[in-house]
Amino acid sequence: MAKNLSGDLQVASANRLGDGAVVFLDDAGRWTVRLERAVLARDKRSGEILLERAKAEASGVIDPFLVAVSEDDDGTLEPLSLREKIRASGLTFQAIAADAVRYA
Amino acid sequence: MRCDMPDTHFYHYDSYDRALVAERVAQFRDQVRRRLSGELTEEQFKPLRLTNGLYLQLHAYMLRIAIPYGTLSAQQLRKLADIARKYDRGYGHFTTRQNLQLNWIKLEDAPDALAALAEVDMHAIQTSGNLIRNVTADHFAGAAVDEIEDPRIWCEIVRQWSTLHPEFSFLPRKFKIAITGSPNDRAAVRVHDVGLRLWRNEAGEVGFEVIVGGGLGRTPMIGKTLREFLPKDELLAYLEATLRVYNRYGRRDNLYKARIKILVHEIGVEKMREDVEAEYAEIKDGALKLAPETIEAIARQFAPPDLVPRKPESAAVERLRLEDRDFGLWLKSNTAPHRVPGYAIVTASLKPAGAPPGDASATQMDGVADIAELWSEGELRVSHEQNLVLPHVAIEHLPSVWKALSHLGFGEANVGKITDIIACPGLDYCALANARSIPVAQRISNHFADLARQHDIGDLKIKISGCINACGHHHVGHIGILGVDKNGVELYQISLGGDVDFGKTALGTILGPAVEADKVVEAVDSLVTTYLEQRGEGERFVDTYRRIGAEPFKERMYGAL
Repeated sequence: MAKNLSGDLQVASANRLGDGAVVFLDDAGRWTVRLERAVLARDKRSGEILLERAKAEASGVIDPFLVAVSEDDDGTLEPLSLREKIRASGLTFQAIAADAVRYA
Repeated sequence: MRCDMPDTHFYHYDSYDRALVAERVAQFRDQVRRRLSGELTEEQFKPLRLTNGLYLQLHAYMLRIAIPYGTLSAQQLRKLADIARKYDRGYGHFTTRQNLQLNWIKLEDAPDALAALAEVDMHAIQTSGNLIRNVTADHFAGAAVDEIEDPRIWCEIVRQWSTLHPEFSFLPRKFKIAITGSPNDRAAVRVHDVGLRLWRNEAGEVGFEVIVGGGLGRTPMIGKTLREFLPKDELLAYLEATLRVYNRYGRRDNLYKARIKILVHEIGVEKMREDVEAEYAEIKDGALKLAPETIEAIARQFAPPDLVPRKPESAAVERLRLEDRDFGLWLKSNTAPHRVPGYAIVTASLKPAGAPPGDASATQMDGVADIAELWSEGELRVSHEQNLVLPHVAIEHLPSVWKALSHLGFGEANVGKITDIIACPGLDYCALANARSIPVAQRISNHFADLARQHDIGDLKIKISGCINACGHHHVGHIGILGVDKNGVELYQISLGGDVDFGKTALGTILGPAVEADKVVEAVDSLVTTYLEQRGEGERFVDTYRRIGAEPFKERMYGAL
């Protein structure tokens, strides 16, 4: 069951400079495409510190910001807003393949 | 390396154009290098990349490629396929401004992609920023039976004047111009910042009706006539005067009130006209007056292909029409009369059932390029309705063209029908969107996939936008659908009665409270059912709506949900 839906749980996200990919700041101060590796701020003050840290590590990314997430009992993180869910997991439909002659 | 451009029936770059584009690519390559090395901050770099059509979207960079006035050669389309394959994920999205967007470009590859575009005289200039954007035109230009004059000649003249225009590179907001050369407006000229409509006056002279202050977005407005009849050779001076007035008085204090439509609305079209005419009087006999030889030189480049008139009947067409219902339906919906007897204009539908509207794979682009080369004089158009057009097809070749398009998935007989949906990329891609558009379009498309049913329903334009910026033109859909975000939930506001037909241009009226995402198909179905029950002889959906009003639709729709 998801907990902490108040928006206090937050991760730092940005877009990677080289390709625009969605990335999250991990514990070691590296940017990763894997949300499950994101370092989690559990309250407002920690969130502020996390954002400062993200901005300090921002040389290879664009405009870091905080994303409100929920955390399941097994520790799975999920963004609260649909926009951030889509940012984290990609298109919600299947794009056509390069060699396709029909949309399937 | 430059490819030799084949002989086409539209504008060829001259050495000035080529030098300009090559210079821009070289500049951008250096700007990208400096950004990647950290010499430039994002704040410094962002306006530079946007000037070259490179946006940052939700998941990646997006390159918006200009397709001037929606005209492409087969060779250019092949190059677009090649770029999509090499630098992107192998597909692209044709937009409502006749552009192509590649959604997954890497920053370091962007200069190479632009250099590849330059090989076929293409670029991404004027696809972003507060300047005069890529000029759009009737997608049947140069072929339509009802055309008074080819609008692309004037689009090209406007392009040459507007590209890197020093005075208009930092306007209060972006500025979109559309031109039509036909009485049946297929370019939606009344919903552009400036719309130009070529028409013939009582003296038999052809000139422009200049329409100003139209637009969709947050504050939709229908454009007003600024000048009833403008002699053609005065076009640039008059546009210059209009842009000067806008540049001087357009609001820069509020992003949402910066478009020319707000200025025209606030001061009134009479005052706008007075100011423009005063400015125009100062400059009309200056350098911008177009010399006949200048117009003629550009017009020559748009000389129509040398099509030999043919018999309008074809036994092969008639045979297949009788044998294959789908071909018969396709003839009705996807072909239009051509100005030369024995030819037709064919629309390749980029809306097969359940597909993202306007998307094409690299293989499909190559395939359509082959078809254009074989059967359409090597020419194509992109429509603002997100389809591709083969402008010059001999009637006897229609069966071959239909079969080839069907093989590519683009032979659906649905142009102008309920599944020929316009949809913006929406929240799946766009950094500005509040809600998804494509999955909604897909569900509606699947629900109404049966072609016989679509043809029974008749002409019905559904337009979907994922936010108030209205890239999906929802305000002018017979059924308009606008995605909104309410407390983190996607809801869809439905409006009826929008239209861009000339003389009938109208903005849709919102029916009532927005509906949940999983109720949109049901809502549209109930609207269609109401229409089918109430329609009079020969009435389209929008005609019935105009006659009976919103109430019966509203009652049925909300009763069904």
